Amino acid sequence: MNFSALSSISRFGCVAILSLTLGACANKNKTGGQYAGVDGDYVSGTPLPERQEGVSFVGSNVDKTQFQPIYFGYDSSDVSSSESGKLASVGQFLKSGRSTVIIAGFTDERGTEEYNRGLGERRAQAVRNWLISNGANGGSIQTVSFGEEMPAASGSDDSAYSQNRRAEIGVVK
Amino acid sequence: MKRFLSIGVFAAALLTAISVIRAQDSATITVQKGAQLNLHVAGISGGDGARVTSVLSNDLKLSDAFSLGGKDTANFIVSGTFSGSQLQGKVVDRSGGTVLAKTYSGDARRAAHQFADDIVETTTGVPGIASTTIAFVATASGKKEIYTADYDGANLRQLTRDGVISVHPSLSRDGRQLLYTGYQSGYADIYRINLASGARNRVAKFPGTNSGGAFSPSGNEFAATLSKDGNPELYIIPAGGGSARRLTRTAGVDSSPSFSPDGGRIVYTSDTSGAPQLYIIPVGGGAGSRLSTQHGYCTEPNWSPDGKKIAFNIRGGSGFQIGIVSPNGSGNRVLSTGNAEDPVWGRDSRHILYASGSALYILDAQSGRQNKVVSGLGKISEPTWSR
Repeated sequence: MNFSALSSISRFGCVAILSLTLGACANKNKTGGQYAGVDGDYVSGTPLPERQEGVSFVGSNVDKTQFQPIYFGYDSSDVSSSESGKLASVGQFLKSGRSTVIIAGFTDERGTEEYNRGLGERRAQAVRNWLISNGANGGSIQTVSFGEEMPAASGSDDSAYSQNRRAEIGVVK
Repeated sequence: MKRFLSIGVFAAALLTAISVIRAQDSATITVQKGAQLNLHVAGISGGDGARVTSVLSNDLKLSDAFSLGGKDTANFIVSGTFSGSQLQGKVVDRSGGTVLAKTYSGDARRAAHQFADDIVETTTGVPGIASTTIAFVATASGKKEIYTADYDGANLRQLTRDGVISVHPSLSRDGRQLLYTGYQSGYADIYRINLASGARNRVAKFPGTNSGGAFSPSGNEFAATLSKDGNPELYIIPAGGGSARRLTRTAGVDSSPSFSPDGGRIVYTSDTSGAPQLYIIPVGGGAGSRLSTQHGYCTEPNWSPDGKKIAFNIRGGSGFQIGIVSPNGSGNRVLSTGNAEDPVWGRDSRHILYASGSALYILDAQSGRQNKVVSGLGKISEPTWSR
């Protein structure tokens, strides 16, 4: 491992800690509930880019095996520090240039279905936000949520649930 | 006896003003809450009369407003003639006075449903649920597809054959239009189907996820969760598609909008406090305010047509229960059912349609009686009910 990779990883680490801290703050702010109905009162994130015609997460032109899934806690969209290593390699890949990715968010089968679609999307967006705050271009990251559909593991136990609470990264070929 | 007389007089007054009452969606009830009127169905004569009688009797049973029995104890007697696609329905009270006399055209089943609704409304002052439509998701084909049926499960029809994931159907109040979330593009988009013509349009296909469409009472626009701006938030979109007006601005997941019957407010789920809770936001803009339910996990709210109640899901140890709360946070209660997901109110603001595993049930929130209306289509979920 050369120096620049090391420094870049440690930079990812620092920003990861920073973004976790920010995440915690955001959670606290969340207790206050809502924001006044004026545009810009709460900047919730970076708008998504336009979709690429004919390209989607389930399409054959997307490689879903290049990166490991990012896992989440129950009913949570917080990106855990244990996942930052996997995310750092996605970040490196995105910084290398022309590639675009589609992040798909999933939930376990507990919870009602429509709420889970929202939660899956929030997980995908949390991964996207992590990558953006670590230097990736938001314009090259699209998101989609499948909620509790397409589980990675079948079964109704904690092991299956923990494998299904995930975000997968599809690389557009 | 005096009470019966007052019902009769009141019913006669209602009869002349029935269309006005429909339009106002108001209800003045002279019977004691929860009391069941005794009804005797004398039967419908004529060619298809037996079929009409059967459908009508089931409707009256599902209304939970009546105790069906013999003539001797009956407060009202139901009779009629069906011939050549015309039903002449008649209801008389104990003294033989006509309470309802009306002619219905159309097929036997439809005529029976309309007669049943008039009987319910005339004798109780509350609109009936018999001539309504339901839609839901079922997995019978191997994929999640949208199905429609009459409220009693008859006239079942598979509406989508997309072969991907088609979920979260939502009927317009009049039951003529349906929104659903479909994944044909590989993303979650919202489609609108005109149920009469079958015409389908993709009305929300913004970047990211488009889901949870719910029509406004007028049907001219719908609310939905969009993530195009970088987070799942609620937006208002014209029914035919077009630009989306943002409604919520939170750090969490905002989902599952349901309009108040006057169209002025929306109840929805947000997890901005950490776990999903119910919030109400003015459609014109402003901040959402939390509706206190005293439960840790509250999702999928549905506002009753009379505006007085919100049904929602509570997640407990073994599956889901249905909670009810008024829009001002009072009257919190939990309905006793087995596992029950995605509750939606019927037109009478009394019955609730919900999914449980492989079946749909209609629950009387007043008495707790339940009737299975759809099963045998694999896993069934996310019902919607016209009003």
